[in-house]
Amino acid sequence: MLIRIQGGRVVDPTAGRDAVGDVWIENGRVVAASERTPDQTIDATGCVVMAGGVEVHSHIAGGNVVMSRLLLPELYTSEAAPEGHPFAHAGGSAAWIGANYARMGYTIAVEPAMPPASALSTQLELADIPLLDRGALTVMGNDDHLLQLLRQREGKAAVRDLVALAVATSRGLGVKCINAGGASAFKDGMLKLSLDEEIPVYGLSTRKIMTALLDAVEEIGVPHPLHVHCNNLGIPGADESFVDTLEAAEGRRIHFAHAQFYAYGVADPENPATGGFRSAAERITEAMEKHPNATFDVGQVAFGQTVTISLDILRQFAGRKGANPKKWILTAGDAEGGGVVPFLYKPRGAVSSLQWAIGLELMLLSKEPERTILTTDHPNGGPFTDYPHIIHLLMDKEKRDREIAGLHKVIGERSGLCAIEREYSFSEIAQLTRSGPAKLLGLTDRGHLREGARADVAIYRDDRDRTAMFARAKYVLKDGVTIVEDGEVVAWTSGHTLELTVESDKAMVARSETYLQDRFGAGLSSFEVPDEAFPKADVFEEVACLA
Amino acid sequence: MAAWVKGGATDADAAVEAAATLLAAARTPIVAGLCAELSAVRAAYHLADAIGASVDPLAGTSLYAELGSMSRTGGMLTTPAETTGRADAVLIVGNAPWDRPIVGEIAESAPTRGRAAGAERTLLSLGGPGNGATRHVAYPAEAGGLAVSVAHLRAYLKGHLAGETAYGDLAKRLAAAQYGVVLYDAAELGELGVEMLQGMVKDLNEVTRFFALPVSDPFQGRALLQLAAWTTGQAPRVGFGRHVPEHDPWRFDSARQIAAGEADAALWLASLPAPRPDWLGTLPAIAIVGEGSPEATGDAAEIVIAVGVPGESAGGALWNDRRATVTYAPPTGPSAELTAAGVLGAIQDRLVEMKAASC
Repeated sequence: MLIRIQGGRVVDPTAGRDAVGDVWIENGRVVAASERTPDQTIDATGCVVMAGGVEVHSHIAGGNVVMSRLLLPELYTSEAAPEGHPFAHAGGSAAWIGANYARMGYTIAVEPAMPPASALSTQLELADIPLLDRGALTVMGNDDHLLQLLRQREGKAAVRDLVALAVATSRGLGVKCINAGGASAFKDGMLKLSLDEEIPVYGLSTRKIMTALLDAVEEIGVPHPLHVHCNNLGIPGADESFVDTLEAAEGRRIHFAHAQFYAYGVADPENPATGGFRSAAERITEAMEKHPNATFDVGQVAFGQTVTISLDILRQFAGRKGANPKKWILTAGDAEGGGVVPFLYKPRGAVSSLQWAIGLELMLLSKEPERTILTTDHPNGGPFTDYPHIIHLLMDKEKRDREIAGLHKVIGERSGLCAIEREYSFSEIAQLTRSGPAKLLGLTDRGHLREGARADVAIYRDDRDRTAMFARAKYVLKDGVTIVEDGEVVAWTSGHTLELTVESDKAMVARSETYLQDRFGAGLSSFEVPDEAFPKADVFEEVACLA
Repeated sequence: MAAWVKGGATDADAAVEAAATLLAAARTPIVAGLCAELSAVRAAYHLADAIGASVDPLAGTSLYAELGSMSRTGGMLTTPAETTGRADAVLIVGNAPWDRPIVGEIAESAPTRGRAAGAERTLLSLGGPGNGATRHVAYPAEAGGLAVSVAHLRAYLKGHLAGETAYGDLAKRLAAAQYGVVLYDAAELGELGVEMLQGMVKDLNEVTRFFALPVSDPFQGRALLQLAAWTTGQAPRVGFGRHVPEHDPWRFDSARQIAAGEADAALWLASLPAPRPDWLGTLPAIAIVGEGSPEATGDAAEIVIAVGVPGESAGGALWNDRRATVTYAPPTGPSAELTAAGVLGAIQDRLVEMKAASC
């Protein structure tokens, strides 16, 4: 079917395009303008047309997400469902996640923390998210098998083969490390870990583990760089950990998760632990400019009640004292740990206000929005449904100033946000939310509207109220099918879960089988994610490794 | 034979037709059991939503002993493999866990990973059977029961009680562990006992690493709990009477609903072995049960449909007790004619057709 999206302001920074024009679609792909009469014409007059939004870091599936629903059932509300998907109005459910992303014009979302030990349940949950394509990053960095290989100095090939096997078995899209070695250290009594501190029992450090994973990801050819959650998240001086980790990458591709939570400089050098923090956004920005090999997503804070979810058990254990309400779950898992800690970002609180300002500052200081991805680290900084509001703040200085006026004065004292005049353009928003994250994931046919692109398209009414504009797209097309009209889902399609095509080394398969049988009394088959386990066929779509 | 309607053998299509007719006429149906592979449990939730039923798993009692405490205070948990691999002290609370294979594995092994590797493992018991079959140090429960015993033990740990008593000794042993684990059965310990025990574990983590390990129920509760949470955003006992999942563990307790006369029809799903509920023959009901099970007969319910047993005559995603996660169990023999998910889907499809025809 030939579709013409007619007369909209087409914004595609990858093609230098920001002008009124048409987008043509056929068979689920963007095509060149056609002389033929279209089968369908979508009137986009007065609208902004962009590629579908791409989410790189949102906790939308997995054991800790499940735990968060059980710990804090009051966080989301369910509303009476109209006709349509039975569970889309069940607050916090998989269907609710898919529907709310789609309404905002997003067409793919990636769960960034899938432990290989529980890959099947995570993948089953992801597959139940309608409308979107999905993906998950396989988490490594705390597993005894990997740490043993490193302790025994088995060499890069062995690490590469183990990482490849873990990705293939769990059907991940990439690799993440979360406070590498931190969960192991926590189980052995440590409460804090820095890049070069020795991890008990193994004689390793975060640096050694992370650099081994960086090498493995490059050797395998994973399109998405190693996705790194550094040490010391959320504490004054975390900027040191960020910069040290950036330099430790030594030019290799690296992506930093939720940089806002690391942009905390020590406010009082005389009392670093108790003197609080100040914005280190300028320092982080300067460091990023010197390291073009690196990208980050922001982890912007949104005010209100949320629940923090992380496999960084070391951090979550420390954070339990700040739980609001005062309840929390920590799990010492089979490799990674995990923590679910409720948190309330208070609009008039000094700490929350400063966190909010730092995230915006990071985005507004960035000269390269494609390397600065918009996330809230859902739900850690706040829900992903706050994206339209955040975009509004980035695009409208007056709006920003009005909000700052109602927040704690610490923003002016300890951040540079108030002095920033910049307002994001539509092209820059597209870089922040489309082309940047698509490039980061290595998905060459997404995030743009050039010929050959996947026909994932979001069409927004141009409205000075950017919050309203981006909250409810006028139309969203997924693979050329209209799934949203006037902010409501009109077709409950199922997307695919993207998995990396990666071969497993037979010797490592045999070795892992022996290891797992010894440790679990169950072998590799108990870690697999077979097609037969899914209630529907055609769940997965392959993504090739880099040549 | 795969299906029966009112005691008479029939084919699957006729049984599905009869089931859809029965459910279409019901005003307050319940969907219960859910002792099945996840694809079937998923189909059951979708069907329940479509007909406005309430849902209650067989594992409900055990799950809610844990969930009530969890939603009030949270917890600190670990896995079986971390327990056998790391723990240098394991406290078993109550009698129920002693029947589980993990106790033998704990008793026969020693920590091999982490800072306690190479140390001897101490097995401790609070209110256990004390039969001497497995070497351990036994501490009897107090007259008030297990929950009160845990409360007293916690008081010793916190320093609220002191003295050279058995519980004082036990408290010292726990605090001295490098990686301690307390194994318990939530259904036996009870909701308040679980909350007290989790509080004790949290207290212990002020001085060492200590975690709780509840034994799993045998009815797929741990697996369906996850599916329920991602499907409805809630724990399993929900009602769809208003076409929105409403969570209420008391209101949607199927046994209570039936005893109170609140339910006028039931669908029992148990493709895996499960005890037949007393109420199955007392109201219009559909039983979707594993082929070859004692319930796969014409007299079990008004409508009975026998389906593949996951891990035997069907594949399915199931709770793996050893791995403490969901894993896939392939069929080990010839595949059954029907799967539970397929039957539930067919019933829902037929209901949609009936509704369309009536418009």
